[in-house]
Amino acid sequence: MSAEKSRIAKHPLEWAVFAVSLVVVIATVGYLAYEAIAGDDSPAALSVELGRPEPRGGAWAVPVTVHNRGDETAEGVKVEVTLESPGAAPETADFDIAFVPRQSKREGWVTFRSDPSRGRLTGRAVGYEKP
Amino acid sequence: MTTERRAGPDARTLDRTLREYARGIIGGLLFSLPLLYTMEVWWAGFIARPSVLLVYLLAGFLLLFGYNRFAGLHEDASWGEVAFEAVEEMGLGLLVSAGILWLIGQIDGGMPLSEVFGKIVVEGVPAAIGVSVGAAQLGGNGKGGQGMKGRDDDESRGLPGQVVLGICGAVLFASNVAPTEEIVQIAAKSTLWRMLGLALLSFALGGIILFYSDFTGSKPLAPKNGLGTVLSLSVINYAVALAASAFILWFFGRFEGVSLAAGLAQTVTLGVASSLGASAGRLLLLS
Repeated sequence: MSAEKSRIAKHPLEWAVFAVSLVVVIATVGYLAYEAIAGDDSPAALSVELGRPEPRGGAWAVPVTVHNRGDETAEGVKVEVTLESPGAAPETADFDIAFVPRQSKREGWVTFRSDPSRGRLTGRAVGYEKP
Repeated sequence: MTTERRAGPDARTLDRTLREYARGIIGGLLFSLPLLYTMEVWWAGFIARPSVLLVYLLAGFLLLFGYNRFAGLHEDASWGEVAFEAVEEMGLGLLVSAGILWLIGQIDGGMPLSEVFGKIVVEGVPAAIGVSVGAAQLGGNGKGGQGMKGRDDDESRGLPGQVVLGICGAVLFASNVAPTEEIVQIAAKSTLWRMLGLALLSFALGGIILFYSDFTGSKPLAPKNGLGTVLSLSVINYAVALAASAFILWFFGRFEGVSLAAGLAQTVTLGVASSLGASAGRLLLLS
């Protein structure tokens, strides 16, 4: 069949769906190609950001945001937050995050028995896996 | 004959077109829902690098081209028409995947674009193949979609067509189990003899399905088909299955930092599913 004939046989709706599909496909391919060319191959780079502590359920809860500014996903991220209060033994709290994708962030909480505002809070990702 | 059907009164009414899209979307869901509901597949969306996703998307396009060329469209469809359908199916597949991913809370506005696109692409390609199979095969009365009259004879399609459709069947069936951890575990714990057993099982299943079991669309062992033909076609079937397995496993990053033996063991493990897909799956795609 000639291309001409098949064109006549198509319903306008098909052209509409085709147009939408073409846009979706071009946008997807374009985005992936751009990322593939422009994106770096830097390894996962994790940083931990701590929020304001608040009393919750008989303990002090601290919101934790883990950023991955690298171009590789980090798997099984172990996050540890330490509270050093004057005149007391340091208290640590930790949790695990299954994945922190590239250029993404994940959020969680840690809790402490003593009031963190009287001490110094430090947090870091102590270890993670390359998926 | 197909020309008449298409240019005739039943050519392209709105009703018919809508029904075809409905079938396509249902096909897409039918084949991709197991994957849409699998964690490992979401993970692949943000673990896989953009270049790998691009290769995967292009491979998906090649399969759509192949399927449309050899099964989905009427025999004398032009390449332009094949491409038109492929773009439509890929677009619908991506949209179906995006819609379901959003409904199940796996993509949202707070995520970086790379994660959103990654998940949509990983899930969208099997959905697109499902859309194309759905539009062409799920229709009632003979041939719903675009008239494949006189093409249901597997043999008439020739070897390239059988191989392309075999790959489609293998990918559709194997991708349901490929992303799971179980493949890695089976491969890691299995002995050489068991691997050999799995390989023989896959090989034999392919041969039995294609030539012995009166499976829909299979051809019985005619005298003209000597043992040589049967064996060589079974070998091709298993080769297609292994190649499809290897590609899917590579895409899911299963070959990274893995010895050749371990990679091969995974390929053979997945090969059982691929072999079933390449033989029984392929015949079902045409029935």
